[in-house]
Amino acid sequence: MIQESDGNSSEPEEDAQAVAAGPELPHASGAPTETEGSAETGARTHPLSGLVLGLSWGLGVALALSFRSILDGEWIVIAFTIPAGFVAGVVGGYVKWWFTRYVINECEIRIETGPIFKSSRRIPCARLQSSDINQPLVARVFGLSELTIEMAGGSDSSSKLRFLPFAEARNIRSTVLQRSHELGNANTPQPATPSPEDADCDSSSDSTMSVGDSPLGHEGATLIARLAPDRILIGALLSLDLLMALLGAMLVGLAFVVFDIPIGGLVTLLAFAGGIYSIVSSRVFAQWDFTLSRSAHGLRITRGLFDRSSQSIPFDRIQGIEMVEPLLWRRFGWSQLKIDVAGYGDASEEDGVSVTTLLPISDKSMALTLLNELIHEPHPEEHQALANQASERARIFAPIGWKYRWLTRSADTVRTHTGWVTKRMQVLPHRNVQSIEISQGPWQRRLGVATVEIHTPDGPVSISLAHMNADEAPRLVLDEVALARAAMARPTAGNA
Amino acid sequence: MCVASEYPMQSSRLANMAQDLFSDLDIEWTPVSTGLIKGRRLAGSITFGILFLFVAAGAGFAIYLAPAPWGTLAAITVTLPILALWVWFWFWVPRNQASWGYFEGEKELLIKSGIMFRRLVVVPYGRMQFVDVESGPIASANGYASVTLNTASTETAADIPGVPTAEAHRLRDRLTELGDFDDSGV
Repeated sequence: MIQESDGNSSEPEEDAQAVAAGPELPHASGAPTETEGSAETGARTHPLSGLVLGLSWGLGVALALSFRSILDGEWIVIAFTIPAGFVAGVVGGYVKWWFTRYVINECEIRIETGPIFKSSRRIPCARLQSSDINQPLVARVFGLSELTIEMAGGSDSSSKLRFLPFAEARNIRSTVLQRSHELGNANTPQPATPSPEDADCDSSSDSTMSVGDSPLGHEGATLIARLAPDRILIGALLSLDLLMALLGAMLVGLAFVVFDIPIGGLVTLLAFAGGIYSIVSSRVFAQWDFTLSRSAHGLRITRGLFDRSSQSIPFDRIQGIEMVEPLLWRRFGWSQLKIDVAGYGDASEEDGVSVTTLLPISDKSMALTLLNELIHEPHPEEHQALANQASERARIFAPIGWKYRWLTRSADTVRTHTGWVTKRMQVLPHRNVQSIEISQGPWQRRLGVATVEIHTPDGPVSISLAHMNADEAPRLVLDEVALARAAMARPTAGNA
Repeated sequence: MCVASEYPMQSSRLANMAQDLFSDLDIEWTPVSTGLIKGRRLAGSITFGILFLFVAAGAGFAIYLAPAPWGTLAAITVTLPILALWVWFWFWVPRNQASWGYFEGEKELLIKSGIMFRRLVVVPYGRMQFVDVESGPIASANGYASVTLNTASTETAADIPGVPTAEAHRLRDRLTELGDFDDSGV
């Protein structure tokens, strides 16, 4: 059944690919990279890959099979299970190898895997972010290496080829990197950044910051802001969640004393203490002596009390900006800036919110100045004309919040204003729009409302207008599509 | 500021607009394969069947062990909902299949889906990072595959299930070629 279905599906597949890959050379195995494999089927990786994969898997399988027996000292059983594990691993490795095919050359990157659950991925060369060669221990013994191809993007955005002879891997790598450079340069006036290492951006280093101009010691960077420790401390203290945690801890402590609750109270108290510590460490220790400066290549952040960490952000990697005004900060006129940075997908999870924070706390006027420097907006007044608000019918979903949801647009950017406890303003240039979605659930349909979302690379900025008038929503989406299209067609980058 | 769009919208607004969010988008949507109905019914029936077997076995024990009326009652109350869900699923599948559609615009791919929960996603070709075509054994037996567009945003839920296999590869190749020559934007 399974075999048969494989056979069925492969035929139309081959047809389709034969049409798509016109100019390629016919099959010539063992030839240099460019002619590797035929267009229809693609090439297999090195035949020893199955063995190498199998050996590393086999080790695991063998250990799993014989784990009990080793503990019990049943050596006869082990004499069977260990070879059986390796055989199973090697068979598995060979099956994987047999069903993995790839086509990598100047025109395309395509990788097909899976005996039963088939998966086939095709990557435009221009989208390639970087490519690495690794040599895991077992592979190195056989002189093989693993080629990793990285794309920008969310989950599983990297593809691995296991395994290729080192020279071949290097050949492929240079071919695709070369190609991606060419394409990048042809399409964007400034050198696009196919790999993060050579991020030699940017076209706009000539505009200097107007806020703070005392030069900082290193590398000709200009200081934008250096946050005083007291400001950071007060800012952290004036946050609702910390105050709640402190209040909770005090109440529990009080109950502890008054009602003499034994262990349960202590555990709760410890939980509160843990929460308070994590808030303090991410807001105070991580942001201690926060310094933001600007160099020719981008922004530079140095921060931290115990571990000083330093981070540079090329201007053209900034996708969108969020300005946050928590309730307790507003009367002092303070706000916080956060950014979406392309390629931070995983990093933002690793390091919590810290890496996406551009300014932990500052006066609103300064935050606005910086925001306007980073996101070029020639006609901010247009935002007034093109505004959409959440529908009043959304009252059921957000009794107070519906009044505070706005999405406004100009020819260059889309902005949202949300929240009444914590106010958030988010700005996204149209050219960084990744995709646009409109959705409507059954309740929303009854109320005649719909939700519009504009997707951005992972990070704090996420532009959406929940529960807007359903009559206007499709129009809004199509207008945004047209604005994004116009912005992408424009030659100069609107950011930085 | 009114922006001209390639996608025509019917000017006559129906009185009952709320019923049809996308109907005034005057586009000829490409439907997905009807093989998806068979495939999903098969996959769903396997899942429900296994679930049902386990629950039925439990119900059998209940009838055998518990005093007369209660065991039967309990058996019915646990098995009936599963059967009901199964029936509902059987009729949900073709409706859902019919709701899927995509349209290859000049610069964007449009995907619509859903009846209860409606959704329309617009992905500019220039924002596409890579395209996956995937098919399991049931899918390939019924001649369809799923096509997934990935952008730099993980929120982009641009997957089309049940595209006929040959069409899936054609679509994939076309999308990648369009993506290759458009501005990257990340």
